[in-house]
Amino acid sequence: MISDMELVALVTSSNDQAAFQLLVERHQAAIRGFLRRLAAGDYGTADDLAQETFLMAYRKMHTFKSTGSFVSWLHTIAYRQFLQFTRKHARQQVMAEPPEQGHDPGQSIDAEILTQRLMGFVSPEERACLTLAYAAGMSHPEIGRVTDLPLGTVKSHIQRGKHKLQRWLKDHDHSISKDKAKAGAAPAKEAHRA
Amino acid sequence: MPDSTFDRELEALLEYTEPPQPEAFTMNVMRSVKREQRTRRVILWAFGLVGALFGLAGAVMLSGSIARLFAFTITMPATETMQVVLFIVAAAAFYTWFMNDDLPLNQ
Repeated sequence: MISDMELVALVTSSNDQAAFQLLVERHQAAIRGFLRRLAAGDYGTADDLAQETFLMAYRKMHTFKSTGSFVSWLHTIAYRQFLQFTRKHARQQVMAEPPEQGHDPGQSIDAEILTQRLMGFVSPEERACLTLAYAAGMSHPEIGRVTDLPLGTVKSHIQRGKHKLQRWLKDHDHSISKDKAKAGAAPAKEAHRA
Repeated sequence: MPDSTFDRELEALLEYTEPPQPEAFTMNVMRSVKREQRTRRVILWAFGLVGALFGLAGAVMLSGSIARLFAFTITMPATETMQVVLFIVAAAAFYTWFMNDDLPLNQ
């Protein structure tokens, strides 16, 4: 299989659109998944931002340094697109509401809805760090490079985010595994982790 | 590690679900790329054309001065001297652009 670096070289040197299409096909699930988590359930916005991310990657492909991984670079662009979007729409209520405090503990919640609720409960930075760590499987230094945050800040965002989620789940008598089992659907693995 | 069970649970919860219509998404991205390229080409041609016209007009107007500048070495009519100078400058510009086109990739 042709590597990301080779595809990037093809796009940069001869503006090979087929190579770029292959890169989009290969990484769209990871980038859309990441932005869907960041947007806390606003899937339309997440997909618009993902499209903008790939367009930006195409424009800036010549600035990509082959020392890092291509998927990390894409995540960096995606995160900046998300930050730009949230700043632009700061006055509007675009992100999902935090989970309701008075939720009935016995009520069955679909795992995806539960994830959206939980993501709405943590700050955007914590959301990004948690998603990159647990869903994208990135190391803490890698997350630091993507989010442009110092290593210590990344670690504290992850810890704080985890504690918030743990506390919320405990307060509302939810077990993740229980809810995941209720949902029944096995999530697809990320393309870049396969 | 005290949080390892919760870590595993969190990993399972945050795991990405396959987003719908991957082909349609890819098509949309490629369509945007093509549209952007078209726009860029139009802008490049339009500005290039305007620049070339201005350059030509300027060169014609300055042909006398350019010829006088090189008169001590070259004995050619003013228009031809101007053309030689313009050709050399254009060749140097093209060479510089061509040789540095893939510079960011090598950095």
